[in-house]
Amino acid sequence: MWSKKAAAVAGGAIFLTLAGLIRLNYLFISAGLVMLTFVVISSFLDVWMPNVKIKRETTSDNIFEDGTMSVKFIIKNTGLGIGFVEIYDSLPPQARIIKGSNYTLLYMKPWQEVSFEYSLKLPLRGHYHLGPVKMRVKDAFDLFYNERIEESIHSFSVFPQVEVLEEQIITSRAPKLLSGAMPLNVIGTGTEFYSLREFVPGDSLRSVNWKALAKKGKMMVNETVREDVMDVILLLDAREVSAVGGGKDTPLEMSCRAAATYAKQLLDERNNVALMVYGETMERVDLDRGEHHLFKILTALSSAKPQGNLKLEIVLKDLLPHLPSGSPIILFSSLDDDHTIAEAFTSTISRGFTITTISPSSLDFEERMKRIPMEPLLIAKIERDNMISELRSFGLQVGDWKYGDNVNTALQEI
Amino acid sequence: MEENPVEIKASRIPKIDKIINYKDFFGEYPIIFVIKIISSLSLIYVISEFYVYHNPMDSLLTKYLGASLKGFEPNPDVFVPWCFAAGFLFYIFTIFKGRYKFFLFLLIAGSLGHYIAEPAINVQQGEYLIPSKVEIENSEANATQWKWKPVKLIYDDVEETNDRIEDAKVRLTNVIFGSMPFLGAYGIWKRKGWAIAASIGLAIIIGFLYTPNLCLENFEESYCGYETKQEEKTWNEYLSSGIFIGLGFVIYIELSYAAIKYENYAEQFKPAGLDISLLTNAQRKSVSKTLRTLFVSYLINLAVILFVTFIIAEVVININKYLATSDGQIQDSIELQGPYGIVFTSLLFFLLLGIIRMFIGPDNKMKEA
Repeated sequence: MWSKKAAAVAGGAIFLTLAGLIRLNYLFISAGLVMLTFVVISSFLDVWMPNVKIKRETTSDNIFEDGTMSVKFIIKNTGLGIGFVEIYDSLPPQARIIKGSNYTLLYMKPWQEVSFEYSLKLPLRGHYHLGPVKMRVKDAFDLFYNERIEESIHSFSVFPQVEVLEEQIITSRAPKLLSGAMPLNVIGTGTEFYSLREFVPGDSLRSVNWKALAKKGKMMVNETVREDVMDVILLLDAREVSAVGGGKDTPLEMSCRAAATYAKQLLDERNNVALMVYGETMERVDLDRGEHHLFKILTALSSAKPQGNLKLEIVLKDLLPHLPSGSPIILFSSLDDDHTIAEAFTSTISRGFTITTISPSSLDFEERMKRIPMEPLLIAKIERDNMISELRSFGLQVGDWKYGDNVNTALQEI
Repeated sequence: MEENPVEIKASRIPKIDKIINYKDFFGEYPIIFVIKIISSLSLIYVISEFYVYHNPMDSLLTKYLGASLKGFEPNPDVFVPWCFAAGFLFYIFTIFKGRYKFFLFLLIAGSLGHYIAEPAINVQQGEYLIPSKVEIENSEANATQWKWKPVKLIYDDVEETNDRIEDAKVRLTNVIFGSMPFLGAYGIWKRKGWAIAASIGLAIIIGFLYTPNLCLENFEESYCGYETKQEEKTWNEYLSSGIFIGLGFVIYIELSYAAIKYENYAEQFKPAGLDISLLTNAQRKSVSKTLRTLFVSYLINLAVILFVTFIIAEVVININKYLATSDGQIQDSIELQGPYGIVFTSLLFFLLLGIIRMFIGPDNKMKEA
């Protein structure tokens, strides 16, 4: 391919020749012809193209949002060619280089292995890949160049950011009994008050409610909620409407971060966790526990894309018959554009499930983007507050998650 | 007992690297410095050779400037080296740092002003030097006092100043012809591609303004420097010399471009955004060696290509000459012995080369992704 320089020299040479003809200037004609000959002769030179083997070494194949990944790019000349090669390792558009460069100019000798390093920061969850690698070689005079694309791809995932929760997420009134001995981190009678009952022989005196004894005149003991292993269903709203905002500031991104945080906490406490992502279809990660399962959930969260408009009522109608009875459901949704919410929640409660909602407010994003005038925005905010109040009046736990707050703040609202 | 820390006083004399960026001049690698020198020499050669065939006295510029400016006699032997030096000194001026650049500018402007005004403006001095301590007359105790001499500006040799102004104008107008070496020198040393391209563009423009024997039509023979109309050179003479000028231009373009290119290559070896001082001696030597190897291979390539270009250009001219002078239908069908003839022959030759190129030479295919 012609470089800019070749085009300039050839263009200049033709101009000189024609100008020489116009002015009858032999000197111009001959000088132009010499320059033109130079370009034509140079085109006969071979533009060397190396045969290379490319390898990348990364610090990790999976990182969390805003995490950094160091890449060591190793290229080996597997032929006898020699010369300068420009190398450009293609990066995802979301990636930010924080150290080094993904472009370099290398002088390669036969069978030489050269490497360069750079570090990336990925602010947004998803599945990405490094590569392909673009290589460019020029001739000695930079008149002609040759490009090649090496299909060397290195895939990696960026998981949603996981925060450390300051308090326990949820307790179940339907703990799951484990078969077989499992060493559990959190097991026992729990600390949260559930009800009072009469003392029966065998009860510990430590559980006696002395105030109730004084009041009623008989021995009463406190019953606590058992904090035990349970099945928790994380339900993520990935409908098209959840992409309101931009970049990291969308309900879906916030929901993914919250779901990842909750999943981590619940799995750390040895619970069984399932993830359901609904939008156009329903993607499921079935109930399981352990580190490996967390990886599955994070991968599924990384894949979540805003599309479709599946209503919550349909999702729950389809889902509930397959869930262990009484399992807590945690819904991550902005609760936008879904007229079935109230019905969906009512039917869920009536079937004995508890449902907790973490709702990132999409109106905050709209306000930030200044896309909605003040008055309609105010009305929309009032409507949202009313809806949340209504849901709370059913006895539902709804966390109104404002823009800029961390997951812990949303949790405290519940 | 507590010892007071020794206070090291900073020297009031600034270090040389605070005044001038001399590293920019010498470069980080000697090979690049050498390329710049060779490139400068080729520039001087090309421009000097160019003016051998484009006498500035026969230029359209001289026709108008010579009539209006007294003493306007552009001489390539004078303005080519001086304008090159001016371009180089302008580059040196640009590498001065901060306030020193400003001081230097003031110094140059002041010196020039003084040089021009000095003969005309004179100061008439009074009885005392300024200021002087003199004894008070009629005083008893030899009392002294400071006295100021009355100062008066007088206009002494105005004619000389006017001559100097005219001389400065003539020198400045010579820069029009010398703008090629001026810009070329600046471009090579400052690594400015646009300046190099502009110097070549100006050569074309100045070539356009040249008309043989134009001077004699407008001025006296004594002014033009030649008495009778110069005999038109034969087209063969022009073509042969044109080949050398063409080759000179290619060398100038290539070498000045190479200086920029290799400096950019050297940049790649540095840690990102940092100085060469962070490279170890071994690394620096390795880079230097790589650059040397590369430049030698580049020079060999250039020499071979230029030689082949020269041979081909000669072949084309001789083919044209043969076709133009030999008996036959070709000679009768078109006027080959002229500018159109040589261009026609060359185009035929390039057509032939294009056909050859289809069968031999590299086939730079893109690998399918």
